Amino acid sequence: MTIIEKFEPDKQKNGFSKKYACLVAAGLFILIVVEIWASNNVVEYGGKLEKLSLLSKRLNTENQLLKNEIASSESLNFVASKSAELGFSPPESIQYIR
Amino acid sequence: MRILWIRAILLIFLSLIVIRLFYWQIVRAEFLQSQADNQHFTDTTLDAVRGDIFFSDGSILTSSNPSFTLYGLPKEIAKDQKIQISYLLAKALSESQDNIDDLAKELVNNLEKDLYWVPLKKKISFDQKKQIEKLISKGIGFNQGSSRFYPEGSSSAHLLGFVNSDAKGNFGLEGYFDGELKGISGSIRHERDALGLPILIGEFLTNDARNGKNLILNIDRSVQYIVEQALKKGVEKYGAKAGSIVVMEPGTGGILAMASFPNYHPEKYFDYPKEFYRNPVVADHYEPGSTFKVLVMAAALNEDLVGPDTKCDSCSGPISVGGFTIRTWDNKYYPDSTLKDVIVHSDNTGMVFVARKLGLDKFYSYLDNFGFGQPTNIDLQDESSPDIRPKNSWREIDLVTASFGQGIAVTPIQMVTAVSAIANGGNLMEPHIVKEITNDQGSFTVNPKVVRKVIKDSSSQVIKEMMVAAVEEGEARVLRLKGFKIAGKTGTAQIPVAGHYDEDKTIASFVGFAPADNPKFVMLVRFDEPSSSIFGSETAAPTFFEIAKQLLFYYKIAPIAE
Repeated sequence: MTIIEKFEPDKQKNGFSKKYACLVAAGLFILIVVEIWASNNVVEYGGKLEKLSLLSKRLNTENQLLKNEIASSESLNFVASKSAELGFSPPESIQYIR
Repeated sequence: MRILWIRAILLIFLSLIVIRLFYWQIVRAEFLQSQADNQHFTDTTLDAVRGDIFFSDGSILTSSNPSFTLYGLPKEIAKDQKIQISYLLAKALSESQDNIDDLAKELVNNLEKDLYWVPLKKKISFDQKKQIEKLISKGIGFNQGSSRFYPEGSSSAHLLGFVNSDAKGNFGLEGYFDGELKGISGSIRHERDALGLPILIGEFLTNDARNGKNLILNIDRSVQYIVEQALKKGVEKYGAKAGSIVVMEPGTGGILAMASFPNYHPEKYFDYPKEFYRNPVVADHYEPGSTFKVLVMAAALNEDLVGPDTKCDSCSGPISVGGFTIRTWDNKYYPDSTLKDVIVHSDNTGMVFVARKLGLDKFYSYLDNFGFGQPTNIDLQDESSPDIRPKNSWREIDLVTASFGQGIAVTPIQMVTAVSAIANGGNLMEPHIVKEITNDQGSFTVNPKVVRKVIKDSSSQVIKEMMVAAVEEGEARVLRLKGFKIAGKTGTAQIPVAGHYDEDKTIASFVGFAPADNPKFVMLVRFDEPSSSIFGSETAAPTFFEIAKQLLFYYKIAPIAE
């Protein structure tokens, strides 16, 4: 008795490409989801960057203003008038001790 | 047939569409691309911050202050809200209650214009901006800029100059160093989304701004303050039209203080006449009078033509030269006086003797060597130098009058630089305001520069002793500071008016240095047309000694035990 086994190479080939096609499709799907998630976050970060940039500008402005305020308080005209208010006056005479 | 017609019509429409598409996508492609870029990209200018100017001790002389321009967006404000918003703004911006209505009316007029954007007020402070932002959120905005800030007020105005509304420096240091101070603006170009927010993964091109360089000066804050207070007091006390003082460190040429009166406030320069902007120390021409005698004497000593004990053989009375009569300032004559006495008595006839010994050729070359007739190259914008007439046009009378400082014009900075050469052993130094130029990358130090050797060290020692004698025995002897060896010379120069000299109008001056053996500072004090007294010994000299007393204390220089 001859047993003939039917050789079905096409069937095997179809199984191979289906598996990979599913993998590729799944991969693409994951990439699409990741891209959508990343794009959403990037938009959010764009907004955060803008806020940080404005904050940095505001802090620099405030720093400069404070620096100038300190300079005004340290100015000799201010120190002289404040000293006069507090009762200080230039020395009448100077004695040198040897 | 009908199908043919339909086909033809369809074909025509298709062709029209293709032609239109070709027009927009090929012919107008560049235009549309640029429009898309404009909507898609944002270009932001990064303004460079103007550099600061510091005193020698690092304290601020001038810096930048953030300021804001308030603008309105008339089309975003409802008609019935414009008046209310204008009054809210006026209350926040007005300096006094009386101005509110006028300011509000002006703001209403601006907001009622048929424009998208209108400027409302410039130079608003940060506090005013915060106050306005709390009151009004829509229809207005702020552009940030900067303006110059002067913590010391109008101090050093002539030194500094000012920055105009176009952010350009004028006069003084702001003008001379405008290129270094202003910096270079940068830019950011980035893609933006529909909300105007930056797209991080998009194109991002940055060109960093380069902030202006900072200047550190030789000017000593305390010395500048002392000088300005004394100058203001002196001008008022002696009824002078104007006054100037300059203090220099003789060893380096560094300017320690420079002040002139009347002055102006650099922040409000537009409220003052333009004549006030000129720095008299570097731009005013004047006849130096008897202060010039020390330089002529130094020249004659250097040539070994005379010595301090050389006797003057023409000092017994007035001298006739070329039809003119040369007299002493007080008509007193000292026969057989030594040249030291000539300086002590400020004897014009003695200087005629010295000038004749020197001769025109040598006299003229020393004028050049001491730096007269040419700019000193000080680092300030408005320096000018009076010309010296060509040598071949000089007559004997010109030589003899120039020997006592009349008939020749100098600037205060030339005079103090020349006397500094006597103080430091004979070197003519180039005067400098700026000591160092710095930025984020590093710093550049301005080194002292010796222009030339004018007189020998031995000659400078001799003339110094003569100048010390002038202080201790001359007209200003009552003012001398006990225990301190100060070298100096008074000057009272008549002012030329319409071809002759006005007897009642003088330039009163005093030039000197201390301590004489190792000078820490050289100073020139000058008053224009003092009315209380025309003499330098009674106006400029007291001011000099008042400042010198404070400076000797400031520099911790103790008197010599007597």
